[in-house]
Amino acid sequence: MQFFHGTNIDFVGKRKFFVTLSTLINIAGILAIIFMGIEFGIDFEGGTEIAYQFSKPVHADAIRNAVDKIGIKGGEIKSFGKENQFLVRVKETDNAQVKITEAFNKYLPEYKATVLKVDKIGPKIGKELRGQAFLAVIISIIAIMLYIAFRFEFTYGFGAVIALIHDVILTFLVVIIVNKLGWIDLEFNQSILAAMLTVVGFSVNDTVIIFDRIRENKDKMKGTPFLKLVNVSVNETLSRTINTVLTVVLVLLTIVLLGGPVLQGFAFTMLIGIITGTYSSIYIASVFVLWYLHTVKKVQIDYEPDKKTELKAAKV
Amino acid sequence: MKKYFGKILIIGIPIIAAFILLYPTYDASKLEEKKQEVYNRAKKDTSATDSLTRLERFEDKYGKDLESAKNKRLKLGLDLRGGMYVTLECDIVKLIEESAQRETVDDIFNEVIDKTRQDAKMSDESVIDIFLNNFNKIARPRGKSLISYFDIGDLREASEDKIVERLKNNAENAIDQAQEVIRQRIDKYGISEPTIQKQGSRRIMLELPGVNNEIEMRKLLQTTARLEFNLVKNNKEIVKTFARIDKLLSDKTKRAKGLLPDTLSESSNTISKDTAIASTKDISKAKKESIAKNKKKSQKDVKTEVKDTAAAIATDTAKKATDTSDPYAGLSEEEKSKRYYEDHPFTTLFQTYYVTDDGRGGRSQPIAYSLPLDQYPEGEYNFVIPDQTLKKFNNIMARPEVKALIPYDLKIAREAKPDPRIEKQSKQKIYNFYALKREPEITGEFVTEARATYDPNTNQPMVLMGMNSEGADRWGRITGANLKKRIAIVLDDQVYSAPTVQNKIIGGSSQITGMANVEEARLLEIVLKAGALKAPVQIIEERVVGPSLGEDSINSGLLASGIALLFVVVFMLLYYAKGGLIANISVILNVILILAVLSAFGGTLTLPGISGIILTIGMAVDANVLIFERIREELYKGRSLKSAIDEGFKHALSAILDSNITTFITGLILYFFGTGPIQGFALTLMIGIIATLFTQIVVSRAMIEISLIRGATHYNFGQPKILNI
Repeated sequence: MQFFHGTNIDFVGKRKFFVTLSTLINIAGILAIIFMGIEFGIDFEGGTEIAYQFSKPVHADAIRNAVDKIGIKGGEIKSFGKENQFLVRVKETDNAQVKITEAFNKYLPEYKATVLKVDKIGPKIGKELRGQAFLAVIISIIAIMLYIAFRFEFTYGFGAVIALIHDVILTFLVVIIVNKLGWIDLEFNQSILAAMLTVVGFSVNDTVIIFDRIRENKDKMKGTPFLKLVNVSVNETLSRTINTVLTVVLVLLTIVLLGGPVLQGFAFTMLIGIITGTYSSIYIASVFVLWYLHTVKKVQIDYEPDKKTELKAAKV
Repeated sequence: MKKYFGKILIIGIPIIAAFILLYPTYDASKLEEKKQEVYNRAKKDTSATDSLTRLERFEDKYGKDLESAKNKRLKLGLDLRGGMYVTLECDIVKLIEESAQRETVDDIFNEVIDKTRQDAKMSDESVIDIFLNNFNKIARPRGKSLISYFDIGDLREASEDKIVERLKNNAENAIDQAQEVIRQRIDKYGISEPTIQKQGSRRIMLELPGVNNEIEMRKLLQTTARLEFNLVKNNKEIVKTFARIDKLLSDKTKRAKGLLPDTLSESSNTISKDTAIASTKDISKAKKESIAKNKKKSQKDVKTEVKDTAAAIATDTAKKATDTSDPYAGLSEEEKSKRYYEDHPFTTLFQTYYVTDDGRGGRSQPIAYSLPLDQYPEGEYNFVIPDQTLKKFNNIMARPEVKALIPYDLKIAREAKPDPRIEKQSKQKIYNFYALKREPEITGEFVTEARATYDPNTNQPMVLMGMNSEGADRWGRITGANLKKRIAIVLDDQVYSAPTVQNKIIGGSSQITGMANVEEARLLEIVLKAGALKAPVQIIEERVVGPSLGEDSINSGLLASGIALLFVVVFMLLYYAKGGLIANISVILNVILILAVLSAFGGTLTLPGISGIILTIGMAVDANVLIFERIREELYKGRSLKSAIDEGFKHALSAILDSNITTFITGLILYFFGTGPIQGFALTLMIGIIATLFTQIVVSRAMIEISLIRGATHYNFGQPKILNI
């Protein structure tokens, strides 16, 4: 079987459009993070979160009423997978589970609540975990940049890092929107963090494969302008890119649909990250290298010198 | 055969190793199945001896095998099989506070401690360092040194460094000891395969599979279990202290209202002289009746008891003293009672009884706090407090100026449970509280045995304790020296009972009563056997996964993984034909290897771990895709099959390595900065990457080369027919 053989698509020719699009989406992403805010999960927020299963479907309002009646304020009720399963989250950490379970037994006796899971995080731990998460992201970005700079050139390392920051912001944007819409529970917790970091890994993975090909072609096709070099390399790796992304997307989609509520958020975040990671390898990472060579190093990157103006616009 | 023997080894050895490593997992599950079967059959047995021998036979035959297989098998994480994950933190601040010499503790020291407690909440630094830092900032400028607060032992060796060293040692011992004590408690509670790990300098992490009673578990973990036997000092001195607290508080309010001058002159004398006298000797018949009435009332309607009695006494004593010098003279009953409350804001929170020895075990009568300080009678007193005023009482007792009034060799402790008889009759919670000698006569360290049982007389649950010979000796001496006195049995600063010593106790047995139910008695038995914690611990993180969720997660996780794997396998077969088959074999070997390595390292398979494996499948397929695409490219260029394969592997290698190493770096960072579940994910990801590099580069290449050596001239990588030479 064979798809995409010997393609000759002018990928980077449309870079102006895609870079503008990406910039706009990223600005939207940053605005979303600032103004809509990341909804932290129990891991980073602290408090008590209990997943209950009721013996038959129950309305969230009835649950909220029961929790309100025992005087626990600001309780959040969310659905947890099935229609008889709910998450109850409260700020308190002392005995909240006992109190809420008692409240359900008292006010909703016919629904017979059983506890599926409890997460109780002291405020100190929450703060610590948040700090660690932030540190983990920063350190992994730096480590990856250094590795790529070591394996290729500094420009490439920088390009890869800009691409992955792009991916992280874009993934955040989608995560925030989907969470707001309530399709999937995507509070920022430890497993979403893990997904984000894996996205970082994958994004770089994809970028590296294209860079690797550019490096190889650079030696083979000496004298070829860089623009063409990038296009050839992307086309040559296209079949691989499509096949890999397709299999990974298939895997992740299966988990999103069938993996249950615990794995769902993780898989969804990765799914978004993989897609943007593939896109950004071409339109951010490679285009950044092009831009850098052209604008900073003043290397001619195309046969036609009049493309210069367009390149300026390609600034990321 | 000879030519490719080495290649067969490359393929064969990892497969054999994986199966050896995974065999215990298989073995354990088989044996457990068998065990279940035996149990089921044993249940059906008609005679108890039959079922017992059946079980014993199984244990003899397979018990050891099962145990060793269980140790070596791939463990499932709590999220998959259900259980409880807890992080405990040792309260080192409390430890420092308690190592200071009681009588030297002052406001400055308390300030340092308070600041340390606050700082420690938000910092990961060693608590001792935080303490020393604060001490230098707060206490030193005011001329205090560590020597001012801590016992230095031998004077010749006294130095600040010695104290710091000892504090540090204590802190370290405390966490190690806590880990040991908690391990014992968990063992005795009967949890199989727990994980107990020290985390950093003051935390203990626990994984407790299969726990479903979280409430009981919390109690088991957090009980300090400090058992002390303290002499009860409910005497005239403490009553006088309470009267002084009254005065301190009422003067304060009066000063605040401007009724008293700010300078506290000799006013205490004048007031006490003016106060009515109502010593027990003076109590008239009428008063006795009123007390008797009150006593009866206390059985019927305890809600208002304290108020009533206090008011009754106030008016009583006031009435009685009208002809002498009554401060409330000429006031209406209502006004008198009001004034009494104003003058006694503390002692009206509870009720004080004076115990007169009438030869029949004592009789108690309520007394009021309107005597001059030196006129309270000698003898025993009792104090009871309803739970409504308990909070206020504790708040007052926590004030530093109140603390300062209490003699430093005494402490106040409340009973753990309200009086059961009163609670039964009126649903009212009334607690006894006691003044205890601060220094315990003997502590729980000598207790070697504990057994939960029922008190044959009252049918209430209790715990019988036995002491070692040293403890028994001391216990004998103590009881001998304190005949007819009360000794309180205090657990974690709460009094469980305060019996009067009737005879000298030889043999070191003692008992604790006052548990609500037999479960509580059983928990107490466990914690007493395991010993006390040197420093209290707090639960700062807790995660519980119910068994049904665990099962659900396994099922949906496995289902999703299975389907995902199937998609990948089918896709690879369709697209890369025979090459795809090789890739699929490598991917499956890859998964087996991950599980094998995980069980060899004693790792745990968690839900995020499963996602790590799924991700690895994706990465592994990517590696093969890279190689096969490259081989096809080389074939297009017109290379021979052999050289196309060589070139394909060679050129794909750098891309595969780079991409896997970057992912590995992320995995490494996740492992070091993540906790619990994230670490599980990172670990499987890292093992997966190494397994991928091995299986996809080495093993799949060996498989392809074997067929080349055997003379294959064409190999189907799914390339178009034209390319088949």
